[in-house]
Amino acid sequence: MKLRWKMTALAAISSMLVLQGCSSSAPAAGNAAGGTQGGKDSQGSQAAAPAKTGKVKLTFWDMHSDAESKFFKDLVDEYNKTQDKVQIEYTAFKQDDYQSTKLPTGFASGNGPDIYMISPGEFMKFAKAGLMKDLTPYFTPEVKSDFLPASLDAVTYNNQVLALPFELELLGLYYNKDMLDKAGVQVPKTWDELHAAAKKLTTDKVAGLIIPPDKGAYFNFIWYPFLWQQGGNVLNADGTKSTFNTPETAKALDFWGSFFQEGLSPKKLQLGPWEIGNLGNKTAAMQICGTWAINQIEDKYKDVPIGLAPLPIPAGGKAATDAGGWKMAVNGQSKNADEAAKFVMWAFGSSDTSHALKWGTEVKFAYSPRKSVVEKGKDIYSKGLRKVFTDEIYNSAIPEPRYPSEVLDAVGDAMQYVMYGKMSGADAAKTIDAKLTDILSKTK
Amino acid sequence: MTPTRKSARVMQERVTAYGFLLPNILGLMIFVFIPIVYAFYVSLHDWNALTPKVFVGFQNYVTLMTDSKWWHSVLRTLMYSVVYVPLLFCLALLSAVIVNALRGKTVGIVRTMFLLPFSITSVIAAIIAMFLLDPRSGLINQLLSFAGIGRQQFLGSPSQAIYCVIFTVLWINLGYNMTIFLSAIKEIPKDYYEAAHMDGATRFQSFRYLTFPLLRETNTFILIVTTIASFQVFDQIIVMTNGGPIDATEVSVLYIYKEAFQMLHMGYSSALAFVLFLIIFAFSMIQLKLVSSNK
Repeated sequence: MKLRWKMTALAAISSMLVLQGCSSSAPAAGNAAGGTQGGKDSQGSQAAAPAKTGKVKLTFWDMHSDAESKFFKDLVDEYNKTQDKVQIEYTAFKQDDYQSTKLPTGFASGNGPDIYMISPGEFMKFAKAGLMKDLTPYFTPEVKSDFLPASLDAVTYNNQVLALPFELELLGLYYNKDMLDKAGVQVPKTWDELHAAAKKLTTDKVAGLIIPPDKGAYFNFIWYPFLWQQGGNVLNADGTKSTFNTPETAKALDFWGSFFQEGLSPKKLQLGPWEIGNLGNKTAAMQICGTWAINQIEDKYKDVPIGLAPLPIPAGGKAATDAGGWKMAVNGQSKNADEAAKFVMWAFGSSDTSHALKWGTEVKFAYSPRKSVVEKGKDIYSKGLRKVFTDEIYNSAIPEPRYPSEVLDAVGDAMQYVMYGKMSGADAAKTIDAKLTDILSKTK
Repeated sequence: MTPTRKSARVMQERVTAYGFLLPNILGLMIFVFIPIVYAFYVSLHDWNALTPKVFVGFQNYVTLMTDSKWWHSVLRTLMYSVVYVPLLFCLALLSAVIVNALRGKTVGIVRTMFLLPFSITSVIAAIIAMFLLDPRSGLINQLLSFAGIGRQQFLGSPSQAIYCVIFTVLWINLGYNMTIFLSAIKEIPKDYYEAAHMDGATRFQSFRYLTFPLLRETNTFILIVTTIASFQVFDQIIVMTNGGPIDATEVSVLYIYKEAFQMLHMGYSSALAFVLFLIIFAFSMIQLKLVSSNK
């Protein structure tokens, strides 16, 4: 009897570990997926800049790596030197769990940063929680008019500008010129042409078209333009009502799904779908990818004949592409929010546009949401493949939507239902429309 | 010895024992029990980790009763366990018996080969398995093509993905469990087998009536620990499939993780974790009861 009690207790303790197991496993997985960015963890850089006495200490959390992280580190060093009121501590985390774990747990435990990076996909979560300071008063009229209105609309909530956009990343269709030539395929301009080209180019070793197969923010990000090209959208303009159950949605879902159902796009990738290496190592003929790919093509895949074109459009549709990009935000609950806001505006929101220009032209290739910066960098923005983005794609950019996580997840479900033949586009649109309506009624 | 001296000695032994146990008890208190109590407290709230908690009583528990995605994930976890646990148990026992019968220099090499996948970080092992299972350039598809079998999607197929995960976790854990069985088999006195042999018992009969019954405690340990671990499978899945395709590998712990960190439904995910704890506890009790009734 005594033994049985002991065994019962043992079973209870070990099964209780499931609760604890959830929390301990999470960072392990995040670390592993982080791969090459291993050296950029919090402990590595946390101790970088101890605050001097008498100065206000601010913390700045970032998710960039390599040269991009160095840019922000240098930016902080420069700011620390140019004034003696505040001392900023810069910390770079791995992107994989930065928004999903680091930021929420940091804020939840009261140890959140004063300044942080945020993506459109996660914007609403933090905006609604009051974790973003209103930056509107910090804009001078000249600077405000220098920003593209759509870029500020994307960070405006309750008539307040809650974050500072500093880059616009656009999408295009990259392709291997040799492969298209050999197959006698013209660069696709319409959906039908894209589908036919992918079919002709697919072999045992080469994928016709690389688009993301796994659920997540990037999955939806690549799909939205196909919906927008026909005038469709996930939600209405103020995000209060689902507009998902439409023929446009059904068509965009069916079109997306057809590439997977017919084996023209792989359902599993060894490289991330955002990595231009898929084209670079010649395992794919076409890939939908963003502006960020250009520097890598020029550095790493010089010998691969890669071309670029705007995303193909459906018959009767109009050009549309996604404009993604990170934003800088200031913790609205920070004691030193005012000082933090000054730094953010100094970096990308002042009349001096040198940082913005350096970021978009030297550190990486991205458009600036500021017209004067695009004008100043004209020469660089028309160099090589960049010219295609500048001349043919830039004008059709629509800011990446900032939907709540539940909406993001539901849209991803619709895409997968069609990809794997579980439902037709029309049925998935109808099913998920009901789900979205339910989600929106709960989040009001 | 007088009763007082005896009780003083017993007392002293107890103090020593608890002294040794204290660091572990403290560790368990701080890192396991307190977080669990706190998790239960959180499960009674609506909380997104960023704004203050709002007390909602047992609302989260009511919601989860009708959350079909949750119950599907529980069914998927059960299905995973039903396939994985017996398979691991039988294969580990079988390989232990075989390795035990090996003689000569090869024994060390074979044992090391079995244990090798376990010695790699589980996530790295999962990534290696992903390369092997890659539909386009993976080794397994290439081998299948030699045998005249067409290219399989493996992790990209809703019907095959879970079995690919089971295969990977099995590959990682087989060596460890085999080692436990092997050391238990080595504990069994050789005289028993000699006696059985003299009585004319076949090898199978020796295994059936000697080895297997004498491994009862090891069997219980492996079964319970493996069942609990199978309910907690997470690392390999988040790396290999992240729950996809179309939720085919979304097991309970992954669903809890996504609710907590992607949706920031901290209260709700704590409630889910509690229900999962109760399910695992119930299963462990049933297993214990079955095993002890065999005694």
